[in-house]
Amino acid sequence: MTNTPDTRPPAPGTASASGVSRRPDTSGSLRAIARPRHSRTRAALAVAAGRATGVLSRRLRLGGGTSLPGLVALRIDPGLPAYLGAQLRQGSIVVTGTNGKTTTSGLVTEVLRAAGHRVWRNREGSNLMRGVATSLLIRARPDGKLRGGGDASAVFEVDEAAFPAVVAALQPRAIVITNLFRDQLDRYGEVDTVAEKWRLALSKLPPTTTLILNADDPAVAALADSDREAPVVYYGVEEAPIVTAGREPGDCAEVIDTRTCARCHAVLEFSQRFYSHIGHWSCPSCGYRRPDPLVRARGIHPDALAGTVFQLETPAGVTEARVELPGLYNVYNALAAAAVGVTVGAETPRIREAIARFRPAFGRAERIAVGDKTVQLLLAKNPTGLNEVLRALGMMEGRHHLLLALSDKAADGEDVSWIWDADYERVPGIAAYVTTTGTRAYDLALRLKYTGQPPQHIEPDFGRALTHALEHTPSGSTLYIVPTYTAMLAIRGELAHRGYTPQYWEQQDE
Amino acid sequence: MNDTTPTAPVIRLAHLYPDQLNVYGDRGNIITLTQRCQWRGITLRVFPLDVGDAVDPDAYDLFFIGGGQDKEQGEVARDMRDVKAANVRAAIDAGTPLLAVCGGYQLLCHYYRDAEGEELPGIGLFDAWTIHKGKQVARCIGNVALSWEGATLVGFENHGGRTYLGERATPLGRVLAGHGNNSEDKTEGVIYKNAYGTYLHGSLLPKNPHLADRIIALALAHARGESAPAALTPLPDDLEWQAHNVMLRRLGLPTTDRPTPAALAR
Repeated sequence: MTNTPDTRPPAPGTASASGVSRRPDTSGSLRAIARPRHSRTRAALAVAAGRATGVLSRRLRLGGGTSLPGLVALRIDPGLPAYLGAQLRQGSIVVTGTNGKTTTSGLVTEVLRAAGHRVWRNREGSNLMRGVATSLLIRARPDGKLRGGGDASAVFEVDEAAFPAVVAALQPRAIVITNLFRDQLDRYGEVDTVAEKWRLALSKLPPTTTLILNADDPAVAALADSDREAPVVYYGVEEAPIVTAGREPGDCAEVIDTRTCARCHAVLEFSQRFYSHIGHWSCPSCGYRRPDPLVRARGIHPDALAGTVFQLETPAGVTEARVELPGLYNVYNALAAAAVGVTVGAETPRIREAIARFRPAFGRAERIAVGDKTVQLLLAKNPTGLNEVLRALGMMEGRHHLLLALSDKAADGEDVSWIWDADYERVPGIAAYVTTTGTRAYDLALRLKYTGQPPQHIEPDFGRALTHALEHTPSGSTLYIVPTYTAMLAIRGELAHRGYTPQYWEQQDE
Repeated sequence: MNDTTPTAPVIRLAHLYPDQLNVYGDRGNIITLTQRCQWRGITLRVFPLDVGDAVDPDAYDLFFIGGGQDKEQGEVARDMRDVKAANVRAAIDAGTPLLAVCGGYQLLCHYYRDAEGEELPGIGLFDAWTIHKGKQVARCIGNVALSWEGATLVGFENHGGRTYLGERATPLGRVLAGHGNNSEDKTEGVIYKNAYGTYLHGSLLPKNPHLADRIIALALAHARGESAPAALTPLPDDLEWQAHNVMLRRLGLPTTDRPTPAALAR
């Protein structure tokens, strides 16, 4: 490759993927207009200050150092992410959405590696602009240039609210949007508000950015519905098993977050609805309907304890794929990564191997051996995420030992009313023993009481709750821990303290 | 009088706009009412009333209306005014109980003036009005506690509009912690006859079983054609009060014992 960063070509492979339309490439001129001249001295200074901060915060054990360097660097040079991002020869891939960001980013990373890319990724818990800045500056030299001539792809998991600013700065090669559900209404606002901000952000991007969208989420699919003639790759599920375990007929109807047509606001109809508003939707009024996905799954079924097998269909062929994660929601995450693979021209067998090789980390179905028992962490921080975890548990044989953890710190959302929108009614049908913990352990216990079956034990303290739940898990069995975000950090810290897993910031980054 | 006599009791609950107004855990209020009735051998039947559905003022013993997204409010407000207002008002004036939360509460007041100064007319059941003072003014978000009839109510509030009560309106409670109606006058919510409006969700009723039971008692009396709230069999509400007290403690307020029926009698 001989391209200088400022004349990055369109992504190889995009144009060859069948069903992908694109406008003639005008990226060079657009980029020249969009990017003001940037001071290299200032960028170098910002990189130096950020790196020094990182060293200092690790020495002083301020914890992680995942976003502090970026914060400091942004103070000196707010244009740093754009300046460094433009040096990435393979461009960047941004992943956003309510659920599945971290897992999808991990899967995308594996797929890009399988396609022969060197891949850089932002670290866990650093999905705001400062985290993106940190991720880039730790790979920059003191002169403000990326290491190795920037010959890498960067995969950035980005917070829904930070998304507009981050994509404006990075002008990514591809953007993956997984889904849009109600989540932390006190922080993000309502679903429609989020969609509108995304739409506006996307409308300002050059046509060199490929959109990779979930066809089965009407709010996400409609994001391509604008004047912007950028390539769009849709992915979706053609058919999925219906899981009834733990659900009584006549239960309160599941809450649906997007019920109306993005074009004409009529109420949507579903020929298949897999969960919440995810499915095969169409508008009876204006005819707008789920676009036909280029990357598809069917024949989905659980495999052994924690894996899911499905038939993966891409324009290049059909293959039996396996992802080491439970639940339909993780099939969607794998499809999103496969769509990225198609976009960069990866061969289907390589995509299949990458998806099979992926191992979950940091609370997303991560499995940890604790003596002769296993602990599996299944993060769930909003109604749909929780419903999907319970559905995945319902797909597995037998009754399960559960530690359910609810906290209301800022990163969890201080409003816990969402638990009443989630289908905990499934719990009595799938649980053998339930402990609740977290700052809102009693709220969660009360939620369970109103399903007709209160938990066996309530213990707000994470350490004591973990001890109790493990004691009540038989040898050879798995304790499933379903925490909100900060509860997951606390429980993982507790496990690490007992010597069972490394602290996340000590894990190898590359 | 025991609540299982003289006839097998059935409470008919009209749930207004369940598809549009459901964003803040309002389902928890329905679940709580349903279970607390079931535990006492009372049947609670939920009738969804959607956009376009007419309201028979004599067909229900209780109304519930929750909060929704902004996009849905216009359509719902129009339907409320054009299709349902007269009969809902007739039912409330005749003593039918109602619980309205957040957006639903605002719809039942005189009007909602949004951040741009546009007025969305309500149905004026409550003598109150709501003003959004512009996007630069912080929303009222956070945990909230009230004093209510010698006891406390706890919940979570999240509203941009400030609601002000007219001379004929009685507040539901007095703010002990949090914002309440407008973050100025310490009032929260409103009561008109047996209709209750409030910003509290969380959900509201699970952690406030005394309010849930007040509403059930009024609805049961309505179902039986009686005027005084029905006497209800007490339930073992230890978990409800523990969750309630966790929040009072968090807000630096004295915790509460289970309120006695006498303390709650009007």
